[in-house]
Amino acid sequence: MSLRTETIHPLYFASAFGTGSLLSFMVLFNGTLAAYGSLFFASWVPHLTGTLTAMLFLLVLRPKRARAIRPSFWVYLGGVSGAVTVMLTATTLNSGLALSGTIALGLAGQMMFSLFADMRGLFGLPQRIPVWRDYLSLLLIITGSLILIFWGSGS
Amino acid sequence: MTGFAALALLAGVLVSLSRQINGRLALSTSAMESSFWNHIVGLVFITVVALLVGGLFAGEPAAAPWWAYFGGPIGVIFVAAGSWLIARIGAAQTALLIIAGQMVSGVAIDIIMGAPGNLWARSFGVVLILAGMWVVRGERRG
Repeated sequence: MSLRTETIHPLYFASAFGTGSLLSFMVLFNGTLAAYGSLFFASWVPHLTGTLTAMLFLLVLRPKRARAIRPSFWVYLGGVSGAVTVMLTATTLNSGLALSGTIALGLAGQMMFSLFADMRGLFGLPQRIPVWRDYLSLLLIITGSLILIFWGSGS
Repeated sequence: MTGFAALALLAGVLVSLSRQINGRLALSTSAMESSFWNHIVGLVFITVVALLVGGLFAGEPAAAPWWAYFGGPIGVIFVAAGSWLIARIGAAQTALLIIAGQMVSGVAIDIIMGAPGNLWARSFGVVLILAGMWVVRGERRG
């Protein structure tokens, strides 16, 4: 088996990092809504305005469908999973875990399931076996994140 | 406490699950269409639960600043980008780089907004994250 060097395309790299920055703004905006209204409201509003925005994008851009055949029903249920996430974190935020514990455990759950899904090629997505570099970067990024979560703010 | 910890872990699992399902939908349709379905299905679900539980409009939602209502359009791009990326660089790398971007920009936003924080912890955390990103950049695969 020959080893080949595969670097992440800079476009993917930059988009993923930029996408993460968007998340910071979402947390700021939705968190501000939650400070004035209920947690339901803080999730309901972005889903409503998001639906309208996505409709507008689809009408203007008219992206081509990758495949002519409609996929199975369950593929449309990603939004349920996202909505349940909001309800779960609303519960844990008010427990002894607080914000830092909720985020830290959320990162752990996200990474464990992502690695598992990659190894199995779950849901018909491409299978990828992680290599040592993946684990090293996982260790560095998660350690750095935990330091920011637990010691970065306050004091 | 253990129960809450399990719920917080599950929340993380669901973030990844949602991105995978949306990514699978994007493979059949398009990234923007998967983001549309994610939002409208989530909207219907939250509306039903909120109607059952009640209290959707509790508090003073009208008093929120206007810019707080812009989380939705940002979320559309966020979900579309995640769906697009996951099929190309995998679930783990997508999640890791998104986390890195969130953490580093979070520190930047905190500093800009004058939130109190420990400079050394912030610097050390950001350096570790950037090192992790540098490591994953040049990947060797069999």
